Amino acid sequence: MAQGRSPGSFQGVGLGLRRAHLDEVAAREDHGVPFWETCPENLIGDGGRHHRLASAILDRDPVLTHGLAISLGGFDPWDGDYLRELDRFLVRAGTPWHSEHLCFTGVDGSCLHELLPLPFTHEAARHTIARARDLQARLPVPLLLENITYYAHLGEPEMDEAAFIAEVLEGADVGWLLDVNNVYVNALNFGFDPKAWLTRMPLDRVAQIHIAGHKKFGSITVDTHGADVIDPVIELMQWTLARLGRPAPVLLERDNHIPDFGDLLAERARIQAAYDAALAPAKTEAAPAEVVRV
Amino acid sequence: MSESRTFRLQRAMASLILDDEPEDIGAPAERLGLPAGDPQAFRDQPEAMDLYRELARLSLTEPLETTFPVLKALLEGAEVWEDCAQAFLSARVVRSTHYRDIAPSFLGWLVDTGWGQDRWPFLAELAHAELLEVLVARFPEADLRQDLHDEPGPGDVVWLDPGTQVVAYAHAVHRATEAAPVPEARPTHLLAFRDEEGEARVLELTAATATLLVQARTRPLAESAAALGLSDPAPALALLRDLRRQGAVLGFRAPH
Repeated sequence: MAQGRSPGSFQGVGLGLRRAHLDEVAAREDHGVPFWETCPENLIGDGGRHHRLASAILDRDPVLTHGLAISLGGFDPWDGDYLRELDRFLVRAGTPWHSEHLCFTGVDGSCLHELLPLPFTHEAARHTIARARDLQARLPVPLLLENITYYAHLGEPEMDEAAFIAEVLEGADVGWLLDVNNVYVNALNFGFDPKAWLTRMPLDRVAQIHIAGHKKFGSITVDTHGADVIDPVIELMQWTLARLGRPAPVLLERDNHIPDFGDLLAERARIQAAYDAALAPAKTEAAPAEVVRV
Repeated sequence: MSESRTFRLQRAMASLILDDEPEDIGAPAERLGLPAGDPQAFRDQPEAMDLYRELARLSLTEPLETTFPVLKALLEGAEVWEDCAQAFLSARVVRSTHYRDIAPSFLGWLVDTGWGQDRWPFLAELAHAELLEVLVARFPEADLRQDLHDEPGPGDVVWLDPGTQVVAYAHAVHRATEAAPVPEARPTHLLAFRDEEGEARVLELTAATATLLVQARTRPLAESAAALGLSDPAPALALLRDLRRQGAVLGFRAPH
């Protein structure tokens, strides 16, 4: 069973633990990946060979947890059984925090299994803040919220995305899982400068960063997690890390067109080199920060 | 109490994703009594709304396509696969946050509604058979039991692995393929279990063996065999030893 690890012990570029790689990851402790990220919904209540492999890896290696379908901004009551299982899972995993998406995924008890955008309104912000505070009170570790890609405004907006996210993060007093690819994709789709967008945000709340690939369909760029990360997104990660001045852990997401483990390790190494370069001036001075404030 | 604007917007989005494609994409928001700017926002973003509809529907139907390839081939051959998927989505029966539960939700919906079973009475059996190996392979681990022994005795009961399933169908659905998806109508008994490597395996059983496996879970083996008219329990004991070696049977113990 994993011991609880401090937030500062998570640094560098980690990978999502994928079913296709479980045999190789379990077989080699020298994989060089500083931490894994896993989705509790995919492991809780599951069984069989893949589950056994994943559990053994998570008991051996450092892990961060990332939820997909809790519907933070939705209206359905929490699933009490799931939250009890999640509590046990997070403690067992020894994760220093748990992240969920700033979105809704279900309506009227029906789970849509898609990250759907919340209305950028004050009413939606108040509702989401109350839900986030309530969820935080039920978790054994600090809660982070992740900014999603959105392809449309849900209804007529009262504010822009940056103002909405900042209002929720500050109001709920939770940490931020900053997905720089999502910022980049949203900037492409809605025509704004991602760095100017980031300068408006409470970067002191960033505890973790996500990075991924994307693809254009028609006139819309989609966050596919199915391609290598392009240089402008890596540069945005570096710009953010330099701005933070501390080694926040970065997670390379790859959920589609999953390459061989060796190729994924090479992609991770490429991003790790960029990570190290971005932090080179700051690393000698900045102690690993206890960045989650909740 | 009136429902909030945020809630109604979420309902409008769910309707856009799950229901029949509306001629006017602002219609669901309008029906929910939202302020005029909200349905207009839907209408002003047609490509993005189409993308959401496509992405979310893909999330919900992809597990069906991968889990039920034979059923899909059958329904595609009759040009009703899309109708089936639409009826499933409209029913809003996916309640679980676990992605792996989408395919079982589909099977439950098929059984509850009887969709398509006037024309294909084996449809639910076919879906069950296609899901069976997945369910068995992923069945949650059980704690090891200390009260079981390896060698079956005539007075013992059988303790199956919790993931092991003994199933009976009216059709040979396990023999259906994408190329020949209509199964023969004949009583079929299957044993599905997880082997030592954790991989799912399926064996076809005779009716007598299937009955023995079910009955011997609560009645002593010799008594169960006698009830089936088997005067010599030795062949049954040999079979059970083999099933224990393969992983279907956890062990044997005296009945309480």
